[in-house]
Amino acid sequence: MNPTTVRTPTTVRLANIHKSFGRQEVLRGIDLEARDGDVISIIGSSGSGKSTLLRCIPFLEIPDQGEVTVGDETIVLTGAGHRFSRAERQKIRRLRGQIGFVFQSFNLWPHMTALQNVMEVPLHVQGRPRAECREEAEAMLAKVGLADKRDAWPAHLSGGQQQRVAIARALASRPRALLFDEPTSALDPELVGEVLRVIRALAEEGRTMLIVTHEMAFAREVSSHAIYLHEGRIEEAGPPQQVFLDPVSERCRRFVRGQAGPVD
Amino acid sequence: MGEAFTLLGFGPEGWGHALLTAGLTTLAVSACAFACGLVLGTLCAWAKIAGPPVLRRAADIYGVVLRGIPDLLVIYLFYFGGRQIVTAIANQFGHTGPVEISGFVAGSLAIGLISGAAQAEVLRGAFHAIPPGTLEAARVTGMRRWTMFRRIIAPQALRTALPGLGNQWQSVIKESALVSVTGLVETLRAVSVAANSTELPFLFFLAGGAIYLAITTVSGLVFRIAEWRAMRGQPAMRVGG
Repeated sequence: MNPTTVRTPTTVRLANIHKSFGRQEVLRGIDLEARDGDVISIIGSSGSGKSTLLRCIPFLEIPDQGEVTVGDETIVLTGAGHRFSRAERQKIRRLRGQIGFVFQSFNLWPHMTALQNVMEVPLHVQGRPRAECREEAEAMLAKVGLADKRDAWPAHLSGGQQQRVAIARALASRPRALLFDEPTSALDPELVGEVLRVIRALAEEGRTMLIVTHEMAFAREVSSHAIYLHEGRIEEAGPPQQVFLDPVSERCRRFVRGQAGPVD
Repeated sequence: MGEAFTLLGFGPEGWGHALLTAGLTTLAVSACAFACGLVLGTLCAWAKIAGPPVLRRAADIYGVVLRGIPDLLVIYLFYFGGRQIVTAIANQFGHTGPVEISGFVAGSLAIGLISGAAQAEVLRGAFHAIPPGTLEAARVTGMRRWTMFRRIIAPQALRTALPGLGNQWQSVIKESALVSVTGLVETLRAVSVAANSTELPFLFFLAGGAIYLAITTVSGLVFRIAEWRAMRGQPAMRVGG
């Protein structure tokens, strides 16, 4: 990175994020910045706080302390049990409107068809014209390879198909950043590939993404930066070659070896 | 046999017209009571799920009280008790003598109140059956609370609640017979009158039973169709791919 070039704008920034569940301190001061076009993979053993960290960005978990920025919206937290003002709640809604979130368990709306799932937010949250929403939703379904499943109910789709619809749904609201929370962990092994292919294609389009994952080979290949979390702190961060192949931290080295098997 | 047909028919000697009107009254009073109960039940379910502690407590007490006293007593309370209170208020404003209140209104409210307690439980159960992830998926988009209720919560809860609400509708129809104590000429009252004046109780009470059965059967069918439509695409009803 050349410091003299104009840097691309920040899409997501976390500053000094702390979060405890009861006495358990899950995040202990996390700083993270995703610029436009960055693909950041977040790895770590279970309990390291990586999912909590991702969920703090759209306030699915409310950080106790720190600062969350998405696009132009910044929210500052001053302590546990913070009560949000009306203005802050609106700000959180606007902030949420700028990200697309993909869950481990898909969480499609079961009473809507695939197409209705994808159209819901543009139509009923963003209030865009129906014809436009429909056209774009169809395009998104085609992009994830499910144009022919537009009228299928979620219960009639495989896990991989459901997750691809969920990705189309996240894309349909035209987010600045996509957040993936272990998108393939709930899938049968033979269905993982189709979902990873879709995510890889999005990375190649230059989308800004944060991905919490256990798929080490995939993360190494697709991301521009990687972060290794341990006990609520960033233990190692850098380009994927460093984090996955030659980390400074001994613990990170053991983790990536253990996860990926012997690295050649 | 021919006499029975004449008596139940629509001719000048027949009770057909009176029974038909009474059947429609039963249907109307049941529909009003059910609607009342649905509104009350929805409010109570909301209070129990997400309301402030005071309302939550109030909803609990309402449920306990209504389950613990006989339905007929609730109707008496609304009709006779209500008449007494309305009269007292009217007398304060210079009106003299008793004020009549409508058996239809008092009866619908009373049965609505009874049914509301049960409907609250049906709706609360249905809310808790919604997969929490689907709510999180809505929340994360910045969806407003009202939109979320309308688009995500209500449609999912209603399809789970439909069988329970169908049972409630059937109970309301049967309980509506109790409103006959207010003098409202619904099915039970009409067949009683007919039975007395013709001295043919067996025939007319049988006819009354047939009217209730017709109403419950047809509305049961309507609920079954609604359930079938609502369950399209649901995992419990996987019909092919």
